Amino acid sequence: MSQSDQSLLVALVGNPNTGKSTLFNALTGLRQRVGNYPGVTVARKSGTCDCGNGQKVELVDLPGLYSLAAASPDEQVVTDALAGNIAGDRQPDAVVMVVDATNLLRNLFLASQVAELGRPMVIVLNQSDVADKQGLHIDTALLSQRLGGVPVVLASAWKGEGVAEVRRGIATALAGRIQMKRVAWPAKIAAALTDVVQDAHRDTGKDVSSAEAQRLLFDAGNAHSDRLGWSQAQRDKSLRAARDKVRTSGYNPMAAEPLVHYAHLRALLEGVLREGSVRAGRSAAVDKLLLHRLVGPVLFTVIMLGLFASVFWLAKFPMQWIQFGVDWVKLTVAHSMDSTPMLQSLVADGIIGGVGAFLAFLPQILILFLFVGILEDSGYMARAAFIMDRMFSWCGLNGKSFVPMLSGFACAIPGLLSTRTIEDPKARLATAFVVPFMSCSARFPIYALMCAAFIGPIYGPGWESAVMVGMHCVGLLFAVPTAFVLTRFVLKVRPQPFVLELPRYQMPKPRDVLWRMWQNAAEFVSKAGTVIFAITIIVWALSYFPRDASVAERIKAANPAATEEGVKAKVQAAYVEQSYMGRFGKAVQPVFDPLGFDWKITVGVLASFPAREVIVSTLGVTYSVGEGAKADSQHLRHAMQDAKWQEGPRAGKPIFSLAAVLSLMVFFALCSQCGPTIATLAQESGGWKWAAASFVYMTALAWIVSALLYQVVIRLLP
Amino acid sequence: MNYEAIIVGAIVGVAAGWLVRRWVAAAKRRKEGGCAGDCGCSAKLKPKK
Repeated sequence: MSQSDQSLLVALVGNPNTGKSTLFNALTGLRQRVGNYPGVTVARKSGTCDCGNGQKVELVDLPGLYSLAAASPDEQVVTDALAGNIAGDRQPDAVVMVVDATNLLRNLFLASQVAELGRPMVIVLNQSDVADKQGLHIDTALLSQRLGGVPVVLASAWKGEGVAEVRRGIATALAGRIQMKRVAWPAKIAAALTDVVQDAHRDTGKDVSSAEAQRLLFDAGNAHSDRLGWSQAQRDKSLRAARDKVRTSGYNPMAAEPLVHYAHLRALLEGVLREGSVRAGRSAAVDKLLLHRLVGPVLFTVIMLGLFASVFWLAKFPMQWIQFGVDWVKLTVAHSMDSTPMLQSLVADGIIGGVGAFLAFLPQILILFLFVGILEDSGYMARAAFIMDRMFSWCGLNGKSFVPMLSGFACAIPGLLSTRTIEDPKARLATAFVVPFMSCSARFPIYALMCAAFIGPIYGPGWESAVMVGMHCVGLLFAVPTAFVLTRFVLKVRPQPFVLELPRYQMPKPRDVLWRMWQNAAEFVSKAGTVIFAITIIVWALSYFPRDASVAERIKAANPAATEEGVKAKVQAAYVEQSYMGRFGKAVQPVFDPLGFDWKITVGVLASFPAREVIVSTLGVTYSVGEGAKADSQHLRHAMQDAKWQEGPRAGKPIFSLAAVLSLMVFFALCSQCGPTIATLAQESGGWKWAAASFVYMTALAWIVSALLYQVVIRLLP
Repeated sequence: MNYEAIIVGAIVGVAAGWLVRRWVAAAKRRKEGGCAGDCGCSAKLKPKK
C-alpha cells in the first residue's frame, strides 16, 4: 500500500452526540461546527487524516444517526454514502465507528448494522473519561476479540486522548481488511433475505448485496428500490412473500432486525462490560433546575438577557475605537483627494462610509458568537431546545423542528439544511417555512444600530438589552402561529414524538469556541470586503448621479444671503434628492409611509432585499454622501438622530421617532430579505412555490405588523 | 478627457460586473444541485439515480 494513498476513503460514522465531529477535528486538523444537539452535521465534511505511519487517507464525517433504517434525508445520505451510492463519491474503504463508551449496547447496534456492509472497521469507544467517572470498565481486548478482531480504541476526543491509537487503528484495519463480526440471522430470515436478493436480481438485472436486501426487507421506505429501478408491483410481491417467511420464524418483520442485532450484541458484550456503582449524578441535578417546568424558561430568559447585555457592554469601547479609526481614515483620505471631488466622494462617503458603518459591528458579532459557542459547547443549547419544545409543541411542529429553528438564530441556511433530520416531509416543509422567521445574525447590526442610537441613550442600557431580546423573539412570536395554521389546516401534519438525547454538561473547550468565533468574524469581514463593498459602490453611484451643475447655481441664486457652508449643505441635500436613488426612493416612499419610513430608509429597505445587513452600509452612504471630510465620530448615529421630516404634516419632527425605530426593527425581524435563504428554501422544498409563498407571506406580514405598530405607537407617544 | 469620471466609471462597472457574475455562478451551482447558500461550499448531496 502507498504511504500517502489519499485515494483511500474512510468514513466516520456514529450516533449523534458521540463526539464524532470533535474526533474528526482531532484526526484531520481541520475545524467544523462542534455542537451538542443532534443533527448538527448535515453536509459532507472531509479532510486528510495521517494514519501515523506516514500513510494519509481521506476522512469523511457523515451525519450522526441511530440506525441505517433511513427515515430522514440525512440518514439517507449516510446509507447512500456507505453503500457508495452518492454521485461523485466512492464507497468507503473502511469505517471508523464512533461509539459512546457510556452507552455501549445501543451504540453498537448501528455498528452491527454497518458491519453488514462488509467494510473494514475500527471501533472508537469515545468519552472513555466519562465512562471511567461513571465506574464503567470495558475490556477492550475481549471486545475486540468478540467483534472479530477489529481494532477497539478507548478515546476521549475532547481531551485529545487516544487519537494516535485511532490513527494506528485505521492503518491496521485497512491493511488487514478486518471486518466486524456479522450477526447470525435465524435460518428463515436468512432465507427471506436470499429470496429478496434473487428476486431483485431477476427483476432488475442488478446485483443486490445482502445489506441492501436487509434495507428492502426491514424498512418501510422504498428509497433502495427506487435506486434499483425495481417496479412497485414486482417489489411488493417479492417483499410480501419474504416478510411472510420472516413471520413464520416468530418475528414481526418490522421488529426482527433490532431484536436479532440486540440479541447478538448482548451475547458479545457478556463479560466485556463491568458497571461500577458511580452514576452520572451532577448533570441530572443541574437538569432538575434548568429543565424545571417553571424555573427553566425563566432561567432561559435571564441567560438570554444577560447574553445581550454583555454583548452591548463589552463591545461598547471596541466599537468606538473602530469608529474612531474609520473616521480617521475617512478624513485622511478625503483631505488627500480634494482635487478630485467625485473620487473623493466615492472613496470617503461610499466605500469607507458604507463598509466602515458595517465593520463597526464586528466586536458585537465576535462577543455574541463567543457566548453562543460557550452555551453550545457546555451542553446548554440542547436544554434550550428541550425547553422550547415543551413551550411550543402545541403548535403542531415536529419536536425535531426546534433544532433547525435554533440554528436559524445564527443563519437561516444551515437551519434550512438541518430540516433534513425531520422524517415527515410535511413537518419538514412546515419547519423550513418558519425557519427564516428566526432572528439570524444578519439582523443583528440593524437592531444594534437602532438600540444604540435611540433606545439606549433615551431609555437606558436595561431597555437596550430588553428591546434586543424582544426583537429576537418577534420572529418566534409569529413563527409559532404560522406553524400552527400550516401544520393543522394547510399541510395537516400528524404529531410525532420528539426524542432528544441531552448531552452531558462539560467545560467548553476554549480552542473550539475561539475557532468558531474566528470563523464567524472572518465570514463577517470577508462579507464586508466583498459583497458589502461592491453593493456600497453601486448604492453610492445611484446616490451620486446624476449631478446637474445648474442645481448648485439655482440654490445660490435663491439664497443670496446664506453662508457658503449653508449653501453647500443645501446643494448636497438637493444632489442626493435628485439622484437616481433619491428619485427611486421618493417614488416608492408612499408605500412605506404608513410604516413611518422616509425616502432614505425606503432606499435602505429596498437595497436590503438581497441581503438584509446591507441596510447599515446603505444608510451609511445615503446619510454621508456629500458630507465628505466633515464626518465626525459616530457620524451615522448622529445623522440619524438629527434627521427631520422636511415636508408634510410631520415637517420638523424627527424621522427616527420611537414609533419609526420600532417599526423599522420589526420590519427587519419579519421581512424576507435574503436571496440565498429563498433559493435554499426552493431547493429544499423541491420547487419555487413554497419559496415564493414564504417571500410574499413574510414581506406582507412585516409591512402589516410594522404599519400597525407605527400607527399605534405614534398616537400613544406622538 | 475626464480621467476622474473614467476611473469612477471603471470602479462602478467592475463592482456591478462582479456582483452579476457572482449571482450567475450561484444560480449555476444551485442548478447543479450544489449548496444554494452564500458560503461557497461544495456540499452536494444528490444521490445517484
